Amino acid sequence: MSERLLEVKDLSIEIATRRGPATIVDGIDLHVDKGETLGIVGESGCGKSLTMLSLVRLLPNKIRVSNGTAAFAGRDLLQLSSRELREVRGGKIGFVFQDPMTSLNPVMKIGEQLIEPLLYHREMSKAEARKRAGELLRLVGIPGAEQRLDSYPHELSGGMRQRVMIAIGLACEPELLIADEPTTALDVTIQAQIVDLVKDLRKRLGMSVVWITHDLALIAGLADRICVLYAGTVVEDAPVEQLFAEPAHPYTRGLLASIPRMDGEDAERLNSIGGTPPEPGRRPAGCPFAPRCPMAQEICRTTVPELQPLRGETTPHRVACHVANRVLEAA
Amino acid sequence: MTAQPAIAPLAAADDATVSLWRDAWTRLSRNKLAVASLAVIAILALVAIFGPWLTPYDFLSQDLEARNLSPNWAHPFGTDELGRDVFSRVIYGTRTAFVVAIVVTGIAATLGVVLGAVAGYFGGLIDRFVMWCTDTTMSVPQLLLVVVINASLKPPLVNFMEAQYELTRNPFFRNSIIVDFVLVFGSMALILWPPYARLIRAQVLSIRNRPYVTAARALGLSTPIIISRYVIPNSIGPLIVAISAGLGNAMVLESAFSFLGVGVNPPIPSWGNMISDGLQVWRNHAHLLAAPAIVLGLATVAFSFLGDGLNDALNPKGSK
Repeated sequence: MSERLLEVKDLSIEIATRRGPATIVDGIDLHVDKGETLGIVGESGCGKSLTMLSLVRLLPNKIRVSNGTAAFAGRDLLQLSSRELREVRGGKIGFVFQDPMTSLNPVMKIGEQLIEPLLYHREMSKAEARKRAGELLRLVGIPGAEQRLDSYPHELSGGMRQRVMIAIGLACEPELLIADEPTTALDVTIQAQIVDLVKDLRKRLGMSVVWITHDLALIAGLADRICVLYAGTVVEDAPVEQLFAEPAHPYTRGLLASIPRMDGEDAERLNSIGGTPPEPGRRPAGCPFAPRCPMAQEICRTTVPELQPLRGETTPHRVACHVANRVLEAA
Repeated sequence: MTAQPAIAPLAAADDATVSLWRDAWTRLSRNKLAVASLAVIAILALVAIFGPWLTPYDFLSQDLEARNLSPNWAHPFGTDELGRDVFSRVIYGTRTAFVVAIVVTGIAATLGVVLGAVAGYFGGLIDRFVMWCTDTTMSVPQLLLVVVINASLKPPLVNFMEAQYELTRNPFFRNSIIVDFVLVFGSMALILWPPYARLIRAQVLSIRNRPYVTAARALGLSTPIIISRYVIPNSIGPLIVAISAGLGNAMVLESAFSFLGVGVNPPIPSWGNMISDGLQVWRNHAHLLAAPAIVLGLATVAFSFLGDGLNDALNPKGSK
């Protein structure tokens, strides 16, 4: 078994509301091995981004971690001093954010933004850092890299900016790159380029990647393993082939069924999952998906299912569903 | 063939390094009122800088033979009741006005930006304390505050300077102008910083949650770097506008205080005390009031129009 880089255990996040704290993320367990790419999938508001932001304590105001641990290379990220935390941010864990249009400082040249983490984490001289910044831009495939150092963000296209964001995230050669829906704001051809770029970089730099997305089709070609999140819990966690071959949670099935296909017979009508996820603070007593689940039983409404291996202890395929076996039979 | 010229400029615009500032400058230069204001300010600034070489007479030399003369070729703005050349005195008044405006606005804006940025970024108790200070300062009438500061701080300051002179025999401490300016700068800066602090705080509140600030924090950058390189530069547009209007405002205030006798004291020429002197004899010698008043009016109007122009130029979404 390969080495664990990140192990999140029983992580809960809550938001302060007028009616008291409401749970957004409810006891998430997930892990990332060295060199592995983990895809985190789920619909908007299911806690994907918050979980990752909480690791480096970048949660917005009024949202806080209420429980759990996050061991990164043997240390609990949630217990670090602010000094140690700054070492981890950017130095050990790199971030790439969703919207390249607003995630770059509009009044700073690209080069300066690239140099900043190098000066801070690597204690390079300005000249060295600038040289390295040029190399980084070339690494992420920006033509005329050295000249682009003196460009402002608004002079670059969305795809170029996202490449710059990736270059900044990679600047200090982090062990883990967290990409939070990095292609959502880009058009499809650019999406494919960015995915290829990250695949290529991962191979060359040997880092681990966590890729947050709601696009199953996109992540299929990129991830080694996929975690499906629903309403702040992990509902299914499986190697990518197994997840697509035999999805065991009704929610995962729903997600897969709602990918638009051009080849199928009923190409006109798009499948969707009826209803909406529960609001934080109004979580159902049992399985959070039960109110929308076509296969829900009595037990689903009363007891929260545990995340368990699907068949025996040895499989890496884990699912949190009381009726998982019946789901598989029905397929 | 005809399609080519239409495409070429587009490609050129894409490649050219158009910085934010150059963009703003282009928009500003299309605004005629702003350009005219800029020209007036530039001329006044040049007059202030090169004053000693421009004045036809010493601003202090009295010619009792030629008192209260109306404007003529020898004295373009006439002479005052002591026979001093008003043109030379207005020029020196320009120097006073500019020095006071720049130093006071500089101190007030720096103080306001630092306190406002800290208050906005950290929030909580710090924010409450800073905002309490601005509210308190702004709730006291400006003139009253300046008069109180001048009246209460001048004697101790004068005594201190005198004592230092006795100790060191350095003629620097004998210079009463220094005392005047220190008091004027200090008291005016003290009443002028709160609006800057409020402005910057509001900007910082909206900017500190922008994605690029989160991104900077995710890079592990330190808080001082994030505030000084990410937050403040992005809040600076409205600040520039406020400073431009603030310079004009400071000139008016300085004149008002000199007019009331709490500002710069004679014999240093200030538009305010010239207006004050001119007001007593304006029925017979209107030029003594008109010359400094018109220049003051011109300067104030120029600064506020420039401020308006900058506001439009730095806010591409605002107009057009």
